Amino acid sequence: MTKLLITEITRMGPALCVIGLQRDKDKIHSVRPVSATANSWLHFPFYRGDVLQCDLAPFPGAKPHIEDRVSTRGFQKESAVSEAEVVRYLRKAELSGSLKELFGCALRENKDGSGLFAMPTEPKRSICGAETQNLRLELCGNELRATLALSSGEVLRDLPVVDRDWRDFIDAAMAESRGANRVARLERFLNSQFHYRILSCPHHFIRLGLTRPYHDLCWLMLDTLFPLPRPEWLEEF
Amino acid sequence: MPLQEDEIRWRRLIEECFRREAGSQAALPDATQDLIETGLLDSMGWVSFLRTLESTSDRNDLGSQLTGRIPSFESILLVFREARAAGRPLAAAVPFPRQVAEPGPVLIAASSVALGSRIVASEEVDKAFGMPHGKLRLRAGIESVAYGAEKENEFTLGTRAGQQALQSAYCAPQELDWIIATSETHHAYPSLSAQLHSQLLARETCGALDVGGACLGLLNGFAVAQALITAGKARSVLVVTADVHSHVFRPGLVAGEFGGLFGDGASAFLLRSSSNSPAQVGYAAGEFFFGSAGQYMAAISVTPAPAGGVDVYFDGEALSRAAITKLEKVVVDVEHRSGIARSSVKGLATHQPNPRLVTLLAKQLDIPEDKFPVVARTFGNLGSSTCGVALDSILRDTGRGGERARAPIFLASLGPGLLFGGGWLVPA
Repeated sequence: MTKLLITEITRMGPALCVIGLQRDKDKIHSVRPVSATANSWLHFPFYRGDVLQCDLAPFPGAKPHIEDRVSTRGFQKESAVSEAEVVRYLRKAELSGSLKELFGCALRENKDGSGLFAMPTEPKRSICGAETQNLRLELCGNELRATLALSSGEVLRDLPVVDRDWRDFIDAAMAESRGANRVARLERFLNSQFHYRILSCPHHFIRLGLTRPYHDLCWLMLDTLFPLPRPEWLEEF
Repeated sequence: MPLQEDEIRWRRLIEECFRREAGSQAALPDATQDLIETGLLDSMGWVSFLRTLESTSDRNDLGSQLTGRIPSFESILLVFREARAAGRPLAAAVPFPRQVAEPGPVLIAASSVALGSRIVASEEVDKAFGMPHGKLRLRAGIESVAYGAEKENEFTLGTRAGQQALQSAYCAPQELDWIIATSETHHAYPSLSAQLHSQLLARETCGALDVGGACLGLLNGFAVAQALITAGKARSVLVVTADVHSHVFRPGLVAGEFGGLFGDGASAFLLRSSSNSPAQVGYAAGEFFFGSAGQYMAAISVTPAPAGGVDVYFDGEALSRAAITKLEKVVVDVEHRSGIARSSVKGLATHQPNPRLVTLLAKQLDIPEDKFPVVARTFGNLGSSTCGVALDSILRDTGRGGERARAPIFLASLGPGLLFGGGWLVPA
């Protein structure tokens, strides 16, 4: 049996991707449990911070998703840790302060449009944590995007935010029941003191990930952003 | 312009940007079709499409305006219509593709260059830096470099280029309202512009300004000069670039793979208000645009070393890739903003980090390599003066070819950061 701390749940379309931390002797590293039939989950009844007992088997997945493990039995919740505790463990796992070290390869700029990508054969991994100097969230055509500066000062622009909790927060903020001018109110909130609140949080931390090859390229995305959004923030705007 | 004509242009722009994202053969959807729900684009593709539209239409708030709306062509058109109704018409702000830009009120009245007087074969440079014989020629495509002689420096080369430019335009130094200088190697005071001001004998009330940007310096200088002239604050501005790398990037101080690429040179351009120009000849400045791609910041850094000299860090592979990607993007943006097809230009005055990258860039852009004047191959990378020497070469070639040789010129350059900028000139 493997003990797995759930650290990220991302959402793209209807599919969920789950990432956790596993201790291997002195090291803590990321693993991505996948089902035997798909790379994602349509239903995952657990939450970030949950510590699960599970059976995970190595999976000869395509590079760079070396963290993939097939779940051969159901998950059983053993305990749960706080958000700050999750970040404490994440800081002990894959970590980089510079762009080049994030995935051990060059990240290229999309010539048209937006985003950064890696050639699928080049990255050494598909998940990495990082500290940021600055961070900004914005909405673009209903999608939440992040621009951030790594501790090296390198700037990553216009990354899709795929964290389930953040996406749910945006959906909740945009719900019709919240009345008029929802977009303007949300944008004002994102552009207000909010970002100092994020940056000044002692457990402010991000995790970046690479998509599976899509149009032959692996695209960079913001897997998660700590602190996580609080439901009470919706009362502020 | 009537609304109907605007609508046609908006639709064409939307379709072009959509095909850049979805592929050139992609079928165009119905205007009201939800692009994500019908699977034509996923959410990442939708945002990428909007970002392309934002950069080509110069409407940075387009994505924000589309939040809360159905992702469709019709929604985008609605935002354009609303902007027009609110008095912010896109057509006036930025010419759309195939709407060729009109000449502006600022003319490039004259140009000149001054290169280091010692032309040194690249094999000699290999030897000086302790590199294998032929490395610079084989790996970078550099055949020779121009090095300044003992008494040549940024000041002397810049002065020579400046004087020549003024003389060729029959412009007395007293007519200058500003001297704008840029150099990536001159870090002393009085600044380069102040020294040039004294040496050229400009009048005391002529301003002297230094702008940075390293290899992007010429375009920064042009943008400042254009703004001063357009605002009515100046009628004649001399923009000078001067870079003497051989005094800074010496063997033993920096690696040959970096230091060996550079040469010494200067360029000067006289920019004048068209109303102040004796004859309406030459080239008119179009628009200049700039940005900084911070994800490439770590690819190159040059900092003062504690014991004198400089500490250089550069990741050659990352820098080359970034340079090609960014220059290509800037040229495509120039094409979209100006409405001038890249195939129709007289030449491209771009930064030339090394000749191999110029070859690659020409290939990527599907442009004959001879549209890029030979600079780096013969003189080495001249920093801020590379773009200047290239532009001067195109302008001289145009002058020799008579009226028929006159065609638009594209400018594109980069600087550490990764700063980038572009612009264009059109026959006046």
